[in-house]
Amino acid sequence: MRAFLIYTVDGVTNGMVYAAVALALVMIWRATRIINYAQGAMAMFTTYIAFFVIEHGTPFWLGFVIALAAGLALGAVTERVLVRPVESRPALSAVILTLGLLIFLEALAPMLFGAQVQSFPAPFSRIDLTAGGTQLYFSRFDIFTVGSVLCVMVLLFVLFQRTTIGLRMRAAAFNPEIARILGIRVGRMLTLGWALAALLGALAGLLAAPVLFLYPTNMDEVLVFGFTGAIIGGLESPVGAVVGALGVGLALSYVSGFLGSDLAPLGSLLILMAVLMIRPRGLFGMTRQRQV
Amino acid sequence: MLEVAHLTVAYGGVVALNDVSFSVPEGAITAVLGANGAGKTTLVRTISGLVRPRHGSVLLDGAELVGRSPESIARLRVAHVPEGHGIVSELSVDENLRLGGLWRRDRAEQRVAVDEAYALFPPLAARRRGPASGLSGGERQMLSIGRALAARPAVLLLDEPSLGLATRLLAQIMERLGSLVAERKLSVLLIEQNARSALSVAGQAVVLSLGRVVVIDEAHRLAGDEALRHAYLGF
Repeated sequence: MRAFLIYTVDGVTNGMVYAAVALALVMIWRATRIINYAQGAMAMFTTYIAFFVIEHGTPFWLGFVIALAAGLALGAVTERVLVRPVESRPALSAVILTLGLLIFLEALAPMLFGAQVQSFPAPFSRIDLTAGGTQLYFSRFDIFTVGSVLCVMVLLFVLFQRTTIGLRMRAAAFNPEIARILGIRVGRMLTLGWALAALLGALAGLLAAPVLFLYPTNMDEVLVFGFTGAIIGGLESPVGAVVGALGVGLALSYVSGFLGSDLAPLGSLLILMAVLMIRPRGLFGMTRQRQV
Repeated sequence: MLEVAHLTVAYGGVVALNDVSFSVPEGAITAVLGANGAGKTTLVRTISGLVRPRHGSVLLDGAELVGRSPESIARLRVAHVPEGHGIVSELSVDENLRLGGLWRRDRAEQRVAVDEAYALFPPLAARRRGPASGLSGGERQMLSIGRALAARPAVLLLDEPSLGLATRLLAQIMERLGSLVAERKLSVLLIEQNARSALSVAGQAVVLSLGRVVVIDEAHRLAGDEALRHAYLGF
């Protein structure tokens, strides 16, 4: 029972990080119909920026905010410089460009920051809390991880559903041509969508690094697990992506806890295959066909 | 006033519009008639900036529209009701209506404009919170026109509003539109395949055939000219 609780908390905490990545992938998919394979590498890169400025004497939280801001900027620049020029080409062009960006960032990071594995500070203790002498199964850092991702998700939900800028962004994503003849600057909305997705990714990077350590490919697995979660959720549905990613987090945690950690990636693959065979549209997917 | 001059549009080698010129006066409906493939939809899509012409100009009160993006043309108060309604079916009815005037930024004004659209088309008010995908064909057309009017346009481009509508419903919509035209000094360009209904509300009519203007005349004269009707309008 004790082991089960430990693995469950672990699964939820990791799952929230995957959920942030999954949601970022879904946001970009809905807005531009491409999968951003560089999502993990972008998060790795912005975490390095935080690491760099913190090493050079910036207070931790300022470094944290700098990394999030760098995520916004990197997302916006990626959309303007890489994705926009191939907007009218088949979606595969943009997808391959994001793969190129992944390779580029993973090559650039060791040049700028060194290739060695760095330990990245956690903002809160990772030691499990105790309450009145009883050992609990989660730490302050676990609470922060779950809380900060939830908080950003709620903010994004409010932005999309309750503000006019969100309404514009949704219209631009659902029907760009109609949006344009209604005077909505669709290009700007797409840039903003990429920026917000990259912000979410940057948060995932900052939360993953204290656990995974920081090195140029540290987010590769997180991207795969987040992507699996997004696919399970049907790729169209933000809620589905979060639920799917939490499921992946839990399943991986149980598999590695009870069966051995070497089997964890295999567990993720099995879930993905099972979902794609039983329900190819994903658990929350609608009728629209998936491409790429 | 909207003035179209020497407009030529080609898709690849196929000429869709060939040296088209006419003007749309304020406070009246100008009908553009013609068979399928005459270039009617290309004409409105060019005016609203979705298609780039090869030659020619489109002037709105003297300002050139050709070369501007669709979003900036919309912001010059040109509202386009595209063929097949063009509502955003993933959004609610209210959200669709709000989209119309969003670029104008004045919140209070936007709310007033949306309420006017509900007053104009009461069936929409009953389905305010519902998804736009749940509307009937006629309601979708009302939504699309209501949304265009909520932008308080100077020019309204209507592409085949009769498509898929019951005659009585169309007549109702046209009647409401007709009273707004005079009241707000709207310039309306009404694209129609259904010539009879269009001629009954329009002041003047432009007949296109294979991308060229073949007749420009007052609507009642055109409706009365049997030879022309037979040749180009099929009734």
